[in-house]
Amino acid sequence: MNKRLLIALFLFALPLFAQTDTQWALDKSTLTYHMSHPMHEVDGASHEAKGKGICHAGQCNFLIAAPVKSFDSGDSNRDLHMVEATRGAQFPMVSVRAQFPEAAITGPTIYADLEVQFAGQTAHYGHVPLQKVTQGNEVQISGTVPATCSDYKIDRPSFLTVPIKNEIPVRIEMTWRQM
Amino acid sequence: MATLKSIALSEIALCCLVLSAPWLCVAQGAQSATMTPPVTAGIANNSSPNIVDLPSAPEPANQIAQAGQADQTPATNQKQQGQTNQQQQNPQTTPSLGDLGFTPQQTQADAQMQARLNERTHMLKVHQTLGLITTIPMVATLITGPQAKAKGKNGQTIIEPTAANLDFHFALGGLTSGMYWTSAYYAIFAPKIPGVKPKGAIRLHRSLEWVHGPGMIITPLLGIMAYKQENAGEKAHGMASYHGTAAYVTTAAYAASIVAVSWPIHLKFWEKQ
Repeated sequence: MNKRLLIALFLFALPLFAQTDTQWALDKSTLTYHMSHPMHEVDGASHEAKGKGICHAGQCNFLIAAPVKSFDSGDSNRDLHMVEATRGAQFPMVSVRAQFPEAAITGPTIYADLEVQFAGQTAHYGHVPLQKVTQGNEVQISGTVPATCSDYKIDRPSFLTVPIKNEIPVRIEMTWRQM
Repeated sequence: MATLKSIALSEIALCCLVLSAPWLCVAQGAQSATMTPPVTAGIANNSSPNIVDLPSAPEPANQIAQAGQADQTPATNQKQQGQTNQQQQNPQTTPSLGDLGFTPQQTQADAQMQARLNERTHMLKVHQTLGLITTIPMVATLITGPQAKAKGKNGQTIIEPTAANLDFHFALGGLTSGMYWTSAYYAIFAPKIPGVKPKGAIRLHRSLEWVHGPGMIITPLLGIMAYKQENAGEKAHGMASYHGTAAYVTTAAYAASIVAVSWPIHLKFWEKQ
C-alpha cells in the first residue's frame, strides 16, 4: 500500500519539477543592422547588448536591450546621423522581447514572437525563426529581425536625394548561459 | 480489509487532486503562451472582470491566466497606439529593463542632445547640398581659366584675354568662393557632440579641409593679383602665376573630399528601391 502511495506521489510530483523557473543570462552578443543604399551597403554592429531570460510555467520570456548609440558602422559621422534619425537620444535603448513556449527550447529552431521597442515605437514580429546551437552550458541563438524604417516611423536618410531602402534587417547573434 | 482499501483509495485520490493542480497550472500557462491576435487579446482583457468573479477557478491557474492577460494587454495597446510605454509586467516571470544592469545615463532620455543632433544633421545636410552645388561653378571656373589667361612668352607679343572672358572667369571664381565659404560655415558651426572621436571616412574628409580650405583663400588672392596684372596689359607673373596651379590643387582636394565622405561606393542605381 505504501509503495502505491509512493508511486502515486512520485508520478504526480513530476509536474512540480517541470514548473521550476529557469533563468538565462546573456553572455556575448552581436546585433547588426544592415542598411542599403544604391551607393552604399552599411552594417552597424553593437556588442553592448545585455539580456535576461525567464522560463516559467512552460513559457519563456527573454529581454535583450542595447544602447542605440552603441551601434558602430565604422564611420562616426554616419553613426551620429543614425542616432539622430532614430531619435536615439530621446529613446536611447532598443529592446527586444521574445516569447516562446519552453518546449521550443529543445528543438534546433525556436519560433519566437518578438516585440521590439525602438525609436519610441513598438513593433511586433510573429513567428521569427531563431537557430539554436547548444555547446556545453552555452546556447547560441542566431536569427534576423525583419525590421523596416516604416515600422518605427523613421524618416529614411538619403544621400544625393536618394533614400536608403526601407528594409533594415537586424541580425542577432547571442550566447546564453543558464543561471 | 475493505475499509482499509477504501481509505487507501481515498488517500490516493486526494493525492491525485492536490498534486495535479500544478499540472493544470502548467497547461493553463502554455495555453496563455500561444500568440493571441490583438483583437482577441482585447476581448480577453475586457472579459477579465468576469474571470475574476468566477468562484470555482483554482487559484494558481487563475493567477497565471491574469498574468498572461497583463502581458498581452499593454502589447496590444502599444501596437495600436505605436507609443512606447513601460510595461507593467510581473517581475518574476518577465525580465524588465531594470534587471539588465544598464546605468541611468545609458537609459535616460536626453531631449537636449536630441535637439543638438537634429540641428547638427540639418546644418550638415545644408553643408552637403551647398558643397555639391559648389562643384558646378568650381569646375566651370576651372574650364574658363585658360580663356582668361594671357598667352605668349615674355618679350614677345602677348595675346590678352577678352574682357568678357576675364570678367566671366572672375565672376565664376567669386561665386565659387562665396558658395564654398557658406557651405564651410554650416560644417564649422554645426553643433559638436562631446565624446565622439572622428572615425572612418569623415577623417579623410576633414583632413582634406587643410588642403582645399587654404586653397580657397590663396587661389582667389592670386586670381585678383593675376586679374590686376592682366588688366594692366601684363602677363601674370610672380606669385600670381601660380593662380592656375593653386586652383587645380584646390579642386582636386575638394573632389577627393567629396569622394572620401561617400566612400566606399557601391553603384547599384539600377536596383529597385
